[in-house]
Amino acid sequence: MPLTLKDIAEMVGVVESTVSRAINDKEGVSEAKKKEILKIVEEYNFKPNKLAQGLAKQETHILAVLLPGLSQGNYSKIIENIEAMAEKAGYQIILCNTHNDLTKEKTYLDLLEEKRVDGAVILGGEIADHQILNTKLRGNNNIVLVNRLCEEILIPTILIDSSYGSYLATKHLLDLGYKNIALITGNNNDYIESEKIKGYNQALIEQNKKINHNLIIETDGSRSAGYQAFIDLVNIKTPPDSFFVTDDLLSVGLVEAVKMGGYFIPQDYPVVSYGGTIINSIIEPDLTRVIEPLSQAGKMAADILIKLINDKQAEEKIKVLKPTLKKSDSTKI
Amino acid sequence: MASVTFENVTKKFGDVVAAKDQDLEIKDKEFLVLVGPSGCGKSTDLRMIAGLEEITEGKIKIGDRVVNDVPPKDRDIAMVFQNYALYPHMNVYDNMAFGLKLRKFPKEDIDRRVNDAAEILSIEPLLDRKPKQLSGGQRQRVALGRAIVREPKVFLMDEPLSNLDAKLRVQMRTELSKLHDRLKTTVIYVTHDQTEAMTMGDRIVVLKDGFIQQVDSPLELYNKPNNMFVAGFIGSPAMNFLDATIHKDGNEYFAEGAGAFNIKIPDMFKEKVKEYDNKKVVFGIRPEDLTDARISHDLDITKENSFEAEVEVVEPMGSEIYLYLSVDEHSMIARVDAESDAKVGDKIKLGVYTQKMHIFDNETEEAIF
Repeated sequence: MPLTLKDIAEMVGVVESTVSRAINDKEGVSEAKKKEILKIVEEYNFKPNKLAQGLAKQETHILAVLLPGLSQGNYSKIIENIEAMAEKAGYQIILCNTHNDLTKEKTYLDLLEEKRVDGAVILGGEIADHQILNTKLRGNNNIVLVNRLCEEILIPTILIDSSYGSYLATKHLLDLGYKNIALITGNNNDYIESEKIKGYNQALIEQNKKINHNLIIETDGSRSAGYQAFIDLVNIKTPPDSFFVTDDLLSVGLVEAVKMGGYFIPQDYPVVSYGGTIINSIIEPDLTRVIEPLSQAGKMAADILIKLINDKQAEEKIKVLKPTLKKSDSTKI
Repeated sequence: MASVTFENVTKKFGDVVAAKDQDLEIKDKEFLVLVGPSGCGKSTDLRMIAGLEEITEGKIKIGDRVVNDVPPKDRDIAMVFQNYALYPHMNVYDNMAFGLKLRKFPKEDIDRRVNDAAEILSIEPLLDRKPKQLSGGQRQRVALGRAIVREPKVFLMDEPLSNLDAKLRVQMRTELSKLHDRLKTTVIYVTHDQTEAMTMGDRIVVLKDGFIQQVDSPLELYNKPNNMFVAGFIGSPAMNFLDATIHKDGNEYFAEGAGAFNIKIPDMFKEKVKEYDNKKVVFGIRPEDLTDARISHDLDITKENSFEAEVEVVEPMGSEIYLYLSVDEHSMIARVDAESDAKVGDKIKLGVYTQKMHIFDNETEEAIF
């Protein structure tokens, strides 16, 4: 049987709360008693029961991470870092896959309302819906959004400025002298994808280039869609001279199609990708790519959430992180 | 544009009743203010209209449509809160437009809506600016713009000005009222601030503990409060309440307070107090309906419309003076003309504008008049 607070209290001849205060380095315990208590703690390798502590404080030390699905490569990196940060602070995480289904999302948000988790990070998706809004408004529940916007209220948010990333990619191709840059995107309903189109447009406008809408292809973000996009684009009247693909999986498909057509990257078609996840590392040649600060986003989200839970967050904020461009073989002429 | 109707609406959170059997008709294009102290249920009412909270019983209609089961996104409403999010990396245009973009509105439509909203809010020159380049008032306008571009039938505003400093709050109050005139849309506005309610609302709903206490125009609420709660909540400084007993003397009725005052009930109210002869009531009088008898120009002071009180604090406000007084064991405030030279410790005679007095039932706290 492991030693309990009660056992230590009896051994030292004090009440349990005094033992607890001594262990937690709080005032109200004489130095002598504190020493005595800590000696027993060390001797018997006493570990406070987290569950009991949580029950007493109505805390679970569990964080929920809500996400629309696991298929998008960048979520895993963010989650990994949320978990690492959470673990350091003594929290565990549970993954809640909503599949963009409001009923499922409600079930997971109820965990927060019912105090079965201490807080939630909500990753991606469309605009914060009424359920998220209400969960926040009702009990001032602890929520942090990552790459998700809210029209009505300020919820602490981490955003990666994907518009800027897309701008960097397009500008890079423009600076290399390419004029007809094709943009292959995922679903434009997604805030992030719509932002990427914005960045692409901005780079063109800045260099007084006309936006050719025939060169912008919106897809479902799949590998086959990337493949098909290349085939569709090389057959139009003014075909592209370079490609910017906003998702790794799309890039895989596009690169396959380029090679299948007997073309070379970058000699015939330079390609810039967006993401830099593991999928990208198996593509030959190594792709120039926009790299998002995913680790930072995950760590920051967990950090803000834990601070909110512990009332240490002075004000609710929106933090915007900037991606970078890693130049590589696919645009080396 | 639409009316909003509550029919016997009740909302319970477990055993807690946040709205009790509420009936309310908010007219098309009306600026209606829900006001009450913290926890009175005003925000719950707003969230029920928005569809954020389900109602426990009753019906809510927007226009002719019962919306009990209509999801929030299909209710044609837009909400504005005090704590809004302006995204720092987006310019004003994008901060107003992102919702429409994500809902796949056509680009031309988005352009038109954002430009129209910017014109209404006089922020056209700011569309390319980032939030950090804006003043507090301009930011608030952008947040309003985000709601306006949705072209809702009803705007729901939950204390949108409470984060602003006092000066800006007063300025935005006027701007919101003007905005309502321009938009010609129904606005339902929640505040705990009775000054905001009085200055902005076409009508005001006063709430307490989930019950509607009174729905009226600002002046009606002020002049004819239904009960002591409304009388005390609306008006600053608040109405004075003194325990009294009604007694009849000949053909006249008097409100008598433990020997400290004996105010004659004006003829116009006599009928209403007939049933209260020898019964305990509460005498209510607003601070501005009392006068320092020594400087009273328009009131003939008699023993039937005045009483003595001791001055405890004198607060000069410039154009007027607040006198904090004690009468018997009661405290009260009089808002008198700046000519008054009353000093702390003085016993002064206070004149009562009796046609402005109120009498409340001692038990139900309902207004007798």
